[in-house]
Amino acid sequence: MIKMLTACGAGVNSSHQIKDAVEAEMKKRGYQVSVEAIQIKDLNPETMKGVQIFLPINKPDLSFDVTVPEIDAGAILYRMPAMAAPVYDKIEDTIKKNHLS
Amino acid sequence: MSDKVAETSLFDRDTVYVSEATSRADVFKAVADDLYKKGHVTEDFLKNLNEREDKYPTGIDLSVVSPEYPNVAIPHTEAEFVKERKVVPIKLKNPISFNNMIDPSQKLEVSFLFMILNNDPEGQSNVLAQIMDFINKTPRNQLLTFFKSTSEDAIYSFLQSKF
Repeated sequence: MIKMLTACGAGVNSSHQIKDAVEAEMKKRGYQVSVEAIQIKDLNPETMKGVQIFLPINKPDLSFDVTVPEIDAGAILYRMPAMAAPVYDKIEDTIKKNHLS
Repeated sequence: MSDKVAETSLFDRDTVYVSEATSRADVFKAVADDLYKKGHVTEDFLKNLNEREDKYPTGIDLSVVSPEYPNVAIPHTEAEFVKERKVVPIKLKNPISFNNMIDPSQKLEVSFLFMILNNDPEGQSNVLAQIMDFINKTPRNQLLTFFKSTSEDAIYSFLQSKF
């Protein structure tokens, strides 16, 4: 299971949409992926533990260094295949390049 | 995927607004006060809505969907400050500046708000996804007319039939 994390301000809408969309698309592409959706204020080295890919939505300013690959996922929110596909492709490339499983 | 339109409507006729406000603070206050009076949100909703919008903006640049579309925003705050799952449509007669949700350094002139009241982030289908699907699937001419409408009744009935 590949573990990813996304975060938005309230933790109710955007991050959950990213979670649902990425999990569904990656499953379609044959990967076992679990995305956790949290509030940006809860992002810290502790909540990042075990995370293999970070999927920020809105270029958050973090007080710590993210040491895993970061892929900007905001475009997924438009729910237009042409906008979302490059994000999914980047996720898949990152999985392959880093041999994540 | 499972973003089926919920069976109970996300819209109420008495929480559709056409606002003359010229600032974000004014429109948030007018709408939040009314939502509080009608029992849809808690007393702290307004304060948290403002704080959240400052820190994590919700403007959406619709020019990437169609260059003719006005920009929208989806103000919302944590589940604990709202009492139900609703979308509150607010037409802004005077465009108001919001920052872009996916690029907060960018300012957008916004003329329609879909304020999201979500007390159940895990449940059912995603409200933001439903709003985007509505924008993407509604024929362009109809959506342009909708965004220009300044009639609460017209806004409500369009959303009831098309959302």
